[in-house]
Amino acid sequence: MYLQIRDLKKSYGEGGSYVQVLKGINTEVEEGQMCVIQGTSGSGKSTLLNCIGGLDIADSGSIVVDGTEIVGMKQDMLSEYRREKLGFIFQFYNLIPNLTVKENIQVCEYLTKNPLDLDDLLETLGLTAHQNKFPSQLSGGQQQRCAIARALIKNPKLLLCDEPTGALDSNTSRDILVLLEEINAKYGTTMLIVTHNNSIKNMVHKVLLMKDGLIHKSYENEVRVPARELEDL
Amino acid sequence: MQKILRKRILRDLKENLFRYLALSVLIIFVMYLVVSIVGAADTIIIGSKKQAEKNKVEDGQFSVFVPLTKDEIKDLEDTGIEIEEQFYLDFAVDDGAVIRIYKNRENIDLIALEDGRLAKANDEIVLEKRYCEEHEITVGDEIQLADKDWKVVGIGSTPDYDAPLKQTSDTNADSSIFGTAFVTKDAYDTLKKSEKSEKAEEYIYAYHLNDKLTNDELKDLLKELDFNADDVNDVYFQEYWDDTVGKKDELQDGIQELADGSKELRDGLKELKDNNKDLNDGAQEIFDAYLKEANQALKGLSIKTLTEDNFETVLTDYLETCQSPAIRVTVRSLKIQLTQLKKFVDGTKEYTDGVAEASDGSGELDDGVQELKDETDDMIDEIFDVDVSNMTSFMTADNNPRIMGAANDQVINRIGGLIAGVILMILFTYVISVFVVHSIENESSVIGALYALGITSGDLMLHYITLPVLVSVISSAIGGLLGFSKLGIGVQMRDCFGYFSLPAPAYEYTPYLILYTFVMPALTAAIVNCLVIRKKLARPVLSMLRKEQKANRIREINLGSMDFITRFRIRQMLREMRSAIALLFGLFVSLLIVMMSLDIYVMCTNVSIENKRDTKFEYMYTYKYPTKDIPNGGEEAFAKDLKKERLGYNLDVTLLGIHKGNPYFQVKNGKGKNEIVISTAVAQKYDVGVGDEFVVTDEETDTKYIFDIVGTTQYSSALYIFMDIDNMRELFGESDDYFNTVFSDHKLSIPTGRLYATTSKADVEAASGIFIKMMRPMIGMLLVCSVIIFCAVMYLMMKVMVDRSAYHISLVKIFGFTTKEINKLYLQGNFYLIAVGSAICIPLAKVCMDMIYPMLVANVGSSCNLHFNWQMYLGIYVAVIVLYLLINQALVGRVKKMLPAEVLKNRE
Repeated sequence: MYLQIRDLKKSYGEGGSYVQVLKGINTEVEEGQMCVIQGTSGSGKSTLLNCIGGLDIADSGSIVVDGTEIVGMKQDMLSEYRREKLGFIFQFYNLIPNLTVKENIQVCEYLTKNPLDLDDLLETLGLTAHQNKFPSQLSGGQQQRCAIARALIKNPKLLLCDEPTGALDSNTSRDILVLLEEINAKYGTTMLIVTHNNSIKNMVHKVLLMKDGLIHKSYENEVRVPARELEDL
Repeated sequence: MQKILRKRILRDLKENLFRYLALSVLIIFVMYLVVSIVGAADTIIIGSKKQAEKNKVEDGQFSVFVPLTKDEIKDLEDTGIEIEEQFYLDFAVDDGAVIRIYKNRENIDLIALEDGRLAKANDEIVLEKRYCEEHEITVGDEIQLADKDWKVVGIGSTPDYDAPLKQTSDTNADSSIFGTAFVTKDAYDTLKKSEKSEKAEEYIYAYHLNDKLTNDELKDLLKELDFNADDVNDVYFQEYWDDTVGKKDELQDGIQELADGSKELRDGLKELKDNNKDLNDGAQEIFDAYLKEANQALKGLSIKTLTEDNFETVLTDYLETCQSPAIRVTVRSLKIQLTQLKKFVDGTKEYTDGVAEASDGSGELDDGVQELKDETDDMIDEIFDVDVSNMTSFMTADNNPRIMGAANDQVINRIGGLIAGVILMILFTYVISVFVVHSIENESSVIGALYALGITSGDLMLHYITLPVLVSVISSAIGGLLGFSKLGIGVQMRDCFGYFSLPAPAYEYTPYLILYTFVMPALTAAIVNCLVIRKKLARPVLSMLRKEQKANRIREINLGSMDFITRFRIRQMLREMRSAIALLFGLFVSLLIVMMSLDIYVMCTNVSIENKRDTKFEYMYTYKYPTKDIPNGGEEAFAKDLKKERLGYNLDVTLLGIHKGNPYFQVKNGKGKNEIVISTAVAQKYDVGVGDEFVVTDEETDTKYIFDIVGTTQYSSALYIFMDIDNMRELFGESDDYFNTVFSDHKLSIPTGRLYATTSKADVEAASGIFIKMMRPMIGMLLVCSVIIFCAVMYLMMKVMVDRSAYHISLVKIFGFTTKEINKLYLQGNFYLIAVGSAICIPLAKVCMDMIYPMLVANVGSSCNLHFNWQMYLGIYVAVIVLYLLINQALVGRVKKMLPAEVLKNRE
């Protein structure tokens, strides 16, 4: 099992403003699986993703990624963990505005000893023609591709995607999802995708439905719909 | 990764070119100033030292009443030291200036020629360079001196007149009225014979100790040098000698006479005493013989044998019984004769006893007189100790304000420059850090994303400080190189060379200054930016990703029920607190420089004005050979030069004893013997006042005097302290009519040979303007520097504030706010910041600079009146506001150009 989560709890605030966001999450994701975490606003899906990514610190419980327990890790170790194992994709692309597409990707190339081939990645993501452009010269979809490339260049085993299509139109969203699908197939990257979009759950291996800080329902798709065929994106 | 991020740095630089260019220009400008000032100071300090060594600067000098004999010089030189005669004569030239003539030198304080050669012929002269500059004299010119034409064959300087002060007690040098010159030995002798010298020849000897003696040991040796007053071929000296030290001989002669008389008396009486026995024996012999004869004659008369003791009784008894008238007559006659003889014997004995007693007494008297003589001799030796020594003054090179004057003047420049450089670099790098923080806040989500991908804050810290460090290093290197060049050090040394007289030294590039120029800015930039950025980069990843604003109690302060505009402005200022702090920091630093500039201006102006105003006398005559006769129309005073240390500089303080009602000084002397009234110059220089104790040292006698300050009087021309002349005479053991200085409101006919110096009001007035003349370029440079720094920092910081608010400004434009209203909201708040900030910073900067400034002029022995009138404060305030309004106007244009579409640009 690549990812194992046991009785994960997370709360914010004190006294009157105390909110328990995660109330005891238990789940597992196998290596190479694409997994969607879905739920309403405030259900805790982003918090769960952030805890897995080491961006947020869980109050209790356990998160084991590729055999490594990350709950209780110090910040330095978490940075190391993120550097070695994780890729992150956000709703907003967070690209460095005055670096070109290629340079934005290269920033993360140096984080690993065994990065993916940059040209190959650019080709895979359809960015070869845009590699010398600055983010402001790209469309939203192209920027998100660049963000994906930046996350993938260091060849992470786990890709965490927080609303990767949240800021994109339907066609562009599909392109991005196709891309993620291809990457999963090509590199065997395990993916956790937090999304509001109901259609996306059909393309992945596993779906986690969250409600009020708990995994309300968890299932694996017996038949996956290819991303290219997804509707209502 | 850094390699990739570095590409970004160049693009950042390009995008904000104006901002960084402005800062770069500021850093270049400041580093140019600092390096040039400190480099010039180093060049002068090290150069002076090298030149002094090369030209064999003296270890000290002393003056004597009578030139030392060859034997005395030999004795002194046998100790291993080296001595050279440096006698001089002062001659007035046509324009009222005085030229001090020396013989060519051979071993000590050699002439460093800048042009020409040494004087060889008897009509040739070498002139001191500053005097030549002031009088536009060049080699080949002719000057007239002592009614003779002299050909200028060389121009140069000597290390003993580095600061060309006429008197060592002078507060400033003025080469337009004083200079030195060097001629051949024969020419000097001719000049001496001409008797056209302004005053008596001064017998000065310079020495090198050669590590064989200490200054104190030499001084002790010199004190022991006796001399014969009769050898001095100076009528005024002889007169002075007779009135002073000559009295010693009279006194000693009188005592000697007394001693001789008492000895004579003792000897005479002893001789007399020695004869007493003979006299007594003779008298007794006569009596005994007569008694024998009487007994022989009375043999037939049944009378008992007469003895000395019984003859009176025996003869009386016989006479009572004797019936014979003839025998009675004979016996009575015998009795009378014997009685008289007995009386004679007794009288002789009594006399000899008296003589013996007188002899003993005269012995005692003689012993007493000898004792008196010894005591009196000791006392006289003690009282006349100073005067009986040939030495009249002794001054080590360290205490000589003429030697290394330029170097001493530069020490403060060096320290001040280095400190100012660091302060300004902190300001500039802080300003840069504000930009960086602005960037970090803008890029917060990007940074968060990078963190999420595993980039550490250390990686980004390195990235974010690279540009500030690069800008600082490159700019300071450019500024430093300019500073090290002729345009820097060369220009900065001009002021020094316009005042001091020293050979042009080769530029000194000291390792510490090179390190300071190339490392200090980088280090400051790195430290300041690290400190400022560290917190910004240490925020949690999620917080950065979400661009969360950190909770801030000050920003969230409850502003109550203020109107919207006021509340908004306050919030805006609180939001932009970092920029506001940088702005106020810049304002304060600029004001410090303004205050420094104005302090220089005020001090120099006050020196000029007050010296003229406070100098009430037309002439001040300082006696070399004081007399008892006060010249008609003169007001006598007793002046004594003492020393007082301040911030490492041992300055001359003149104690002036004056009579009550002296018309030239408004002094109400205290009655106590230790009470003094201080001049305002002393009060300002030493920061003392009524009730304080004032300790000064007489270095001639190594004596400390502690005075109580009982009053202050307006007098700024020199460091004077006043006391009652009678008290002063008593304190220094002078006679009741002693004086050595005379003030007058008109020229007096005092023979110049009697005088040490004559100071006229015109001299004082001419010299008082020299500071302002010398410092004018520096004042201007500092003012320009402060205005540039202030404007640049204010513009950059206010621009950052506007840029940071660009989104909001666009937003309120969408809401329908007019440009005027937007200016009110976003810009005019700064007006209050500047208005209130200036109101606080102006007096604060003044207080700080008034604490620092006296250290910068610690070596200047003049008043230090730094008082600003209210118009000056108002002027500075108005200038700050006007500069603000000008810069504000430039930013109004920027706000106008911001479009509502900016809101869209700021979203992804």
